[in-house]
Amino acid sequence: MIDACLGSQGAKVVVATSGDEEHPPENITDGKTNTFWMSTGMFPQEFIIRFAEPTSVFAVTVDSYNVKHLKIEKNATQNVSQFEFVAEKEFENTEGHLQSNAISLNGGSVTHLRFIITAGYDHFVSVHRVSIQN
Amino acid sequence: MRSFELQSKHTFGNYSCLFFYHPFFVPWYLVCVGDAAVGKSALSHMLHSDGTLLQKNYSMTTGVELLMKCVNIPETNDSVELYIIDSAGKETLVESCEKMWGEPSLLCLVFDLTSEQSFANCSRWMERVHAHCRGLPVPGVLVGNKLDLSTRREVQTSVAQEWAQSQGLEYYETSAKDMENCDAPLLSLARAFHSLYQERRETIQNLSPG
Ligand SMILES: Nc1nc2c(ncn2[C@@H]2O[C@H](COP(=O)(O)OP(=O)(O)O)[C@@H](O)[C@H]2O)c(=O)[nH]1
Ligand SMILES: [Mg+2]
Repeated sequence: MIDACLGSQGAKVVVATSGDEEHPPENITDGKTNTFWMSTGMFPQEFIIRFAEPTSVFAVTVDSYNVKHLKIEKNATQNVSQFEFVAEKEFENTEGHLQSNAISLNGGSVTHLRFIITAGYDHFVSVHRVSIQN
Repeated sequence: MRSFELQSKHTFGNYSCLFFYHPFFVPWYLVCVGDAAVGKSALSHMLHSDGTLLQKNYSMTTGVELLMKCVNIPETNDSVELYIIDSAGKETLVESCEKMWGEPSLLCLVFDLTSEQSFANCSRWMERVHAHCRGLPVPGVLVGNKLDLSTRREVQTSVAQEWAQSQGLEYYETSAKDMENCDAPLLSLARAFHSLYQERRETIQNLSPG
């Protein structure tokens, strides 16, 4: 099942390294691609999504702009610590329209997913939507 | 809350209280380069502490120093948090400094107004910085320091101004000793990056879906 709107399931972003209050991290989980969270400079940038309950995730789709390299980590605890690496991907540069990348996470139950943007095609990157397949 | 990035970027303890909303949380990273003894450290400390006195027993920079400074952008509600990296100008240290640079967001290139040589070396510093920027535009300033030593001046304003323009840099003359004009370069940089941010934000708002 593909769930485009993580927010309606009770998943939310609990940590984000940048904050422009006009473009809050909630925009990542609201299911819409016309709302976004934007980084305000420097790399790495990261955000962490917490699921309401342990969820098995087979893949995530990330809609973004100017992201060059993304690393995903997970954990299955209630704490935002002790993450283990699950996947990474180099995104292609898409000028004028959004990047949309599916990343396979090979199942397994998670309570937190941590997204680390290690490099960008510009000083600033945006993340418009994260959806999961479970 | 604003010191969050500096203190705990990778150690999220009690995450619920780290979910901050400062109007404009920005850690931007400014690299300060130039020859040895032109006054980079003096200027960085000045910028950092809003003008405390120039340190008396000044020792030569021995490595890389990380300072932080918060700048309010006039006529907006936004403030910009800058990390200032003061890199040593001594040849032997340059390499280790360059490892620290990463990809700077902003550049502050400093020379000594009383040293023609320190000005001549600026183009070499520019090349080095650009090698780290992977093609990203880096707003920058050229700073002629030691304005107070006017009788020993070797570099004329017009010459420096012209070169700065050719490199796309704003030019400022300062005296870290007399605390003259020291805030101007930083404010100009913060403004430049802030408008770059707003420009990009507009672009992203107008994107079509993938
Ligand atoms: N007269 C004068 N001396 C300065 C000024 N700025 C720095 N200095 C002196 O120049 C020397 C080198 O300064 P420093 O900040 O260590 O240079 P750096 O190697 O570029 O970091 C020190 O003795 C400072 O006191 C200035 O604006 N005027
Ligand atoms: Mg120094």
